[in-house]
Amino acid sequence: MAAMTPKERVQKFFKREPVDTMPIFSGMGMVTVQAINKMGIRFAEVHGSAEYLAKSSTLSSDIFGFDSVIVPYDLCTIPEAMGRGCSIYEDAEGILYPTVPNKWENFDAVDISPDWASKARMPLVEQALKTLISEGKYAVGGWVLGPFTLGGQITELDLLLKGIKKQADKVHQFMEKMTGVVIDVAKRYQALGVDYMTIREMGSGTDLLSPRMWKQLIQPYLRKIFSALDSPKILHICGGTDLIVELMNDCGADALSFDQKNNLAQTRKKIGNEVILLGNFDPYGTLCQMEANEVPDVIAGCVEAGADAVWPGCDIWPEVKAENVEAWVRTLRELGRQPSPAVGRI
Amino acid sequence: MVSDERRAEILKKLSEGVVEYSEDMVREYAYIAVDEGLDAYDAVMNGLAAGMEIVGDLYDRQEYFVPEMLMCADALYAGLDILKPHIKKDESTGTRGQVVIGTVQGDVHDIGKNLIKLMFEVGGFTVHDLGRDVPLEKFSEEQLRTDSEIVALSAMMTTTMLGMKKVVEMIKKKNPNVAIMLGGAPLTKDVANLFGADGYAASAGNAVQEAIKMISQLRRLEKKAVSS
Repeated sequence: MAAMTPKERVQKFFKREPVDTMPIFSGMGMVTVQAINKMGIRFAEVHGSAEYLAKSSTLSSDIFGFDSVIVPYDLCTIPEAMGRGCSIYEDAEGILYPTVPNKWENFDAVDISPDWASKARMPLVEQALKTLISEGKYAVGGWVLGPFTLGGQITELDLLLKGIKKQADKVHQFMEKMTGVVIDVAKRYQALGVDYMTIREMGSGTDLLSPRMWKQLIQPYLRKIFSALDSPKILHICGGTDLIVELMNDCGADALSFDQKNNLAQTRKKIGNEVILLGNFDPYGTLCQMEANEVPDVIAGCVEAGADAVWPGCDIWPEVKAENVEAWVRTLRELGRQPSPAVGRI
Repeated sequence: MVSDERRAEILKKLSEGVVEYSEDMVREYAYIAVDEGLDAYDAVMNGLAAGMEIVGDLYDRQEYFVPEMLMCADALYAGLDILKPHIKKDESTGTRGQVVIGTVQGDVHDIGKNLIKLMFEVGGFTVHDLGRDVPLEKFSEEQLRTDSEIVALSAMMTTTMLGMKKVVEMIKKKNPNVAIMLGGAPLTKDVANLFGADGYAASAGNAVQEAIKMISQLRRLEKKAVSS
C-alpha cells in the first residue's frame, strides 16, 4: 500500500477515517527562521510577498517534516484592508509580528468600504494560498480571526469590553458586522480549496470574559459562522478555556483547539471521545526555550491527555531551536501510531 | 471637621460605588467628601482604592472579569477627577513620585497597563504614559527626561516580553537606582528576577493587586512617617 501523503493524512484525519499516524500540523502559523534564513530574507519581508509567504511555509514543512502549510502569519491583513494600517517593524532588532496601529475609537466611527476584501494584502494572501494548494503536497490550512478578536483589532478592546455592559445594542450590531466579514473571508478561502479552516477567537477566553458573557456575546456569532462554513472547520481559543469547553463544543465546529492553559485531560472527560481535540503544548516554551530532551515528555503529555492531533497552543515563534522541533516531530511519528480517541489507525 | 462616623459612611459609599461600578454614586460621594471637608487623600486611598482592593479580590475569585474591572476603574476615575485637585501636596512623607509606564514595542495590548497607571495615579504619583508599542529606547529616554523613580513595563505576549530585558539593562546602566516593575500575562517572578527587575505583576487582575500592595506599602510608609 502506498504511504499516505501529508495532505491525505490530514484530509482523512478530519473525515475520521483511519490514518497511518497522527498528522503533525496546526491551524496557526508554523513558519521557522530556518526557512526564512534559507531564503536569505528578513522576517519583516515575508508578509508583503505572496511568493515569500508560500515559499517560507513550504520550506518550513520540507525542513521539519510537518504535514501542513498555513498563511498568512500576522493578524493584520483584514484590519489593514479596512484602512487601519499595519506596522511591519522593518527596522526593529529581532523578530516582531506586525500590529495594527490605528483603531477606530468608537463604534459610530467604524466605516468599512464595500471593496475592502480586494485591498492591501488580501489579494496576495489569496495568491499565496492558491500557490500552496496547487503544489499539492501539504495540507493547506486557512484561518480567520473570530468576530470578537477581529473586532478588538479594529476598535479599542476596552471599548468592546465595557461596551458589553454599557452599549450592548451597539456591540451586538458590531459583532454582526464582524461575523459577516469572517464568513466572507472564510468562504473565499474555502472556495480556493483550503483543506481545513480554523476560526481563531483567541481574544474571548475567560482571562477576559465570564462564561455567562461568552455564552451571550461570543457563542451566537460563532454558531452563525460555523453553520455557514463547509467542513472541516475548527474553533481555536487561546488562554482560559476550562470553564467554556462545553459552550465551545456547542458552536458547530468539527474540532476544538486549545492552548497550554487548558486542562486537556479534563476537557476530554467533559466532552467525550467523539469530539476531535487539538492541542496543546506551549509553542514558545517547548520549541524555543527548553532543552530538546525535555520535548518528548511534553508531546507525550498531550497524547496521553487525549489530543487527537498534538497542535501547538498558538503560532510557532519562528526562532525555534531546530533540535526541539525535530524532537517534536520524531516523538509524534512514534507515539502517533496509536489510535487517538476520535480517530482510528490503519 | 467630619466625625468618625460620617467619615466611615462616606468612605463606604465611595468604596461601594467603585465595586458596583456606579460612576454616579462615586461622583455623588466624592462631592460630598469635598463639601463636608473630608481629607481628599483619605477619600481616595480609603474609599476609592479600598473599593478597588475588593474588586481585585472579586477578580481572583472569578466573580468579576475584565469588563467589570474596567468599569470599576471608570468609576474610580470619576471620583479621582473630583478629589485629586483637593489633595494636599505633602512633601514630608516622600511617598509620591513619578512613574514612566508603557507597553513594549510590538505589543498593542494595554488594558493591564492602564489599570496599573490608574493605581499609580490613585497613589498620587505623576504618571508619564508612553502608550503602547513603545520603542525600547524610549523608556530609558523618558526616565532620564523626567527623573522618574519607577519605570513600569507591560507586555502581553511572551515574544514581546523579551524586549523588557533590554530595557532593564538600558535603564540600570544609566541609573541603577530606578525601580523597574514588569507586568503582563507571560511574565513570572522568576523571569522578572532574571531580567533584573525589582517587581512584577502577571495580569490585569494581578496588576491591580500588585499596585494595591504598593499603595498599601505607601500607606504604611506614610503612617510611619507621620508617627515618627
